[in-house]
Amino acid sequence: MKIDCTIDGKTLTLSLNSDKPLSLILRENMGDDCHVNHCNGSMCGLCTVLLDGKAVLSCMVPAFEIRGKTVTTFDSFRRTKNMKDIEKAYESVGRYPCTECYASRSLIFESLIDEGITDPETILKELSIVRCPCMDPEDEVQIVLKGIEIRRKRNVRRS
Amino acid sequence: MADRKNFSRYNMRCGILLHAKEGKTRISDLKLPELDSRYLVLTGSDLPGTNSISFMGRSMPLIAKETISYKDQIVLALFAPDYESAELMMREIQLSTEPLKEQPEAVTLPDSLEYSWGEMEENKEDKYREITTTFNLTRIARPNRKLYTVTAWMEGSNMHIEAPSQWVELIRDTVERATGYPKRNIIVHLLSYTAKHDEFLIEPAVLAAIAATATIRTGLPSEIREECYFSRPTVNVKRKVLLDEDMKPQFETAEMTIDQGAFAFAPEEYQRQAMTGLIPPYPLKGFRGSVKIISSPSHPASFCGSLGYSEALSSTEYHISRLAESAGMTPNLYRQMIEKDKRKFTDYIPGFDLTQQKKCMDKVVASSSFDRKWSANTFQKEDFGLLGYLKGIGMASGAGIAGFSTTLSKETGFSAMMTFTQKHNVTINTSALTHQGTMKSWKKRIAERIIPDRPEGVMFLDPGPDTIDSGPDVLSRLVASFTLQLESAAKRLSVLKDTEKLPVSIQFDAENTYYPCEFENSGYGAIVCEVVIDKATMIPQVKGIWASLSFPSIMDRVSLENSVRRTIMMTLQENGMSIPLSFHIDVEITEDGTDDTISSIQQLARGLTLGALYNALHQAVGGKADALPISDAEINLAFTGAEK
Repeated sequence: MKIDCTIDGKTLTLSLNSDKPLSLILRENMGDDCHVNHCNGSMCGLCTVLLDGKAVLSCMVPAFEIRGKTVTTFDSFRRTKNMKDIEKAYESVGRYPCTECYASRSLIFESLIDEGITDPETILKELSIVRCPCMDPEDEVQIVLKGIEIRRKRNVRRS
Repeated sequence: MADRKNFSRYNMRCGILLHAKEGKTRISDLKLPELDSRYLVLTGSDLPGTNSISFMGRSMPLIAKETISYKDQIVLALFAPDYESAELMMREIQLSTEPLKEQPEAVTLPDSLEYSWGEMEENKEDKYREITTTFNLTRIARPNRKLYTVTAWMEGSNMHIEAPSQWVELIRDTVERATGYPKRNIIVHLLSYTAKHDEFLIEPAVLAAIAATATIRTGLPSEIREECYFSRPTVNVKRKVLLDEDMKPQFETAEMTIDQGAFAFAPEEYQRQAMTGLIPPYPLKGFRGSVKIISSPSHPASFCGSLGYSEALSSTEYHISRLAESAGMTPNLYRQMIEKDKRKFTDYIPGFDLTQQKKCMDKVVASSSFDRKWSANTFQKEDFGLLGYLKGIGMASGAGIAGFSTTLSKETGFSAMMTFTQKHNVTINTSALTHQGTMKSWKKRIAERIIPDRPEGVMFLDPGPDTIDSGPDVLSRLVASFTLQLESAAKRLSVLKDTEKLPVSIQFDAENTYYPCEFENSGYGAIVCEVVIDKATMIPQVKGIWASLSFPSIMDRVSLENSVRRTIMMTLQENGMSIPLSFHIDVEITEDGTDDTISSIQQLARGLTLGALYNALHQAVGGKADALPISDAEINLAFTGAEK
């Protein structure tokens, strides 16, 4: 089937099997080997992408689900100002994810910061999709709260 | 570094592997469907060269030929125009196996490593109090779920390999042996990776050899996609100690058995590292230690962040806590009673001063209120009926070691070369080009000694046929030992550049090999772990961790602290611990300013966390927690008395 979508700012028309997972579309059709894993739905959490601004596991998203939607991978997200806010939050708290889950965790942080979620339990529930045990819960909550603060300041300055 | 050739995926062969479902079997039948020219199947007999990978003197088949030694061993590789076609075609392949009637060909294992001092005395007339302890770590073997790809393609007379690898030379060597392609013409392009469990040490070399064979056979670029695999060996330590009337240990025997799986990698080095951790820090009149490696039809255990030292250190710490329990004292007070100011000098670790280690202990004991909590948990345990108090606190402390042993360093001869050029630049020829951050730090440190304020004048030569093998990137040896060797070479070169004709070069060992013992102590630490078992679900939860570590020098404090925290978190979770929202880690790192080697942070933090966790679990559930990792179901079974 033909699917129209926007991936990393590029408007594309892809000819695909309707059930092909988004993680494989990104790896095979888009050639993003670095930041998107494909674990066949074993919930490793390392294939996270933003689908219309919400963090999702790309191995669980079939091709037909992305029709008309915007997919943002870490490859393009890392060059945005929003990523700079997250980097500042890492620096401010003094903790950062390991290189393996850096991309996935950063995208989930972005989703949480964007929605302005401050409830620790909701934050940890969202972050639990990344199985990598490199960060402790306290630090994860701190990073989100700091990120929201930094984003708010930036938005105030801009307005 | 040469750029990766930009070839189209349409002109590529995508490979997947067929793994054995059972170990210790024989291939009775392998039925292949009719395949057209777009497909290629590679079995053990299709490799033009040697079907084996050789790692530090030990070898293992790349693809199983007739007998399957362990579950998940590679049986064949199937290459197709795309992964979907390969997956579909793989379903048509039928593999039949039958259990091996006779014993499989025995894996050559080293003899048990023995080390002792003093004359052992028999416990005649009950002169001494005898205590026996056992420490068990069961195998953890699972795929990482992280996919990685290994690609091979040819360009003129050169074979290019693109892979993540902790040892580039192993890839070149394995591809040469498997394909007969000359090593000089094999160019490896390194992909970035994070090897939490040394997943990228052996397997990428195996896959590279298979992909290279497919490339030679088809004439097209070939790619294999695989999940990285890691496996921690099964460890069992039995200790018997004779204590005098003051509860001070006098004579001790320690037997450690390690099941490294179907094939053992660097077993002699494993024995040396394990023995170093097995030797207790307290004085003894007589000690006898042995480290034995055994094999079983399971996945070969990789280094897994440690080569036995962490496990042995944690077993020693567990043992000390059991002795303290028998003496009716807290482990902290008991250690103060039995340990002297200096350790005994042995062939494995020197007689270093324990002051720094004791300082670390005092800090964590004070910040965690260890003595109070330990005593409270012990008293309460008696009053809580069938289940007990289900709370525990444990402590572990010890010194770190770094890199390989003196014996292995001398045997392998990993080296590097530093040159001061006519243009007053410094070039370094080494295969140790893994992490950009480390290389940046090296450049800065070398420039400080030879060309101050000009770190851009320090250059690492691109990998090529003349690259010198500096060994694998394991046990933090490139950060620990190799940094010191680079600095020492830079010092020597700064003198030679003024006295010799330029260019002037010096070749130096990648490992520090001047120790009188097998290892040098470096860095100290103490960790306290508090555990609580949820009364309703029996899920073991970690309430908090207090860590105090001291290192000779600190290159980057934030990275170091993050590294310690990650190692602690990983160790807790891989051993079955649940992390609640209220969990906290307090880490305090100090710099003692000595010139010692920087220790392997992973090894030290892992060993101490494991020891503290085992002790805490023992206090929470008693002797019922007989092995790590542990689960809620196992704790439940232990209390209900049902068989596992």
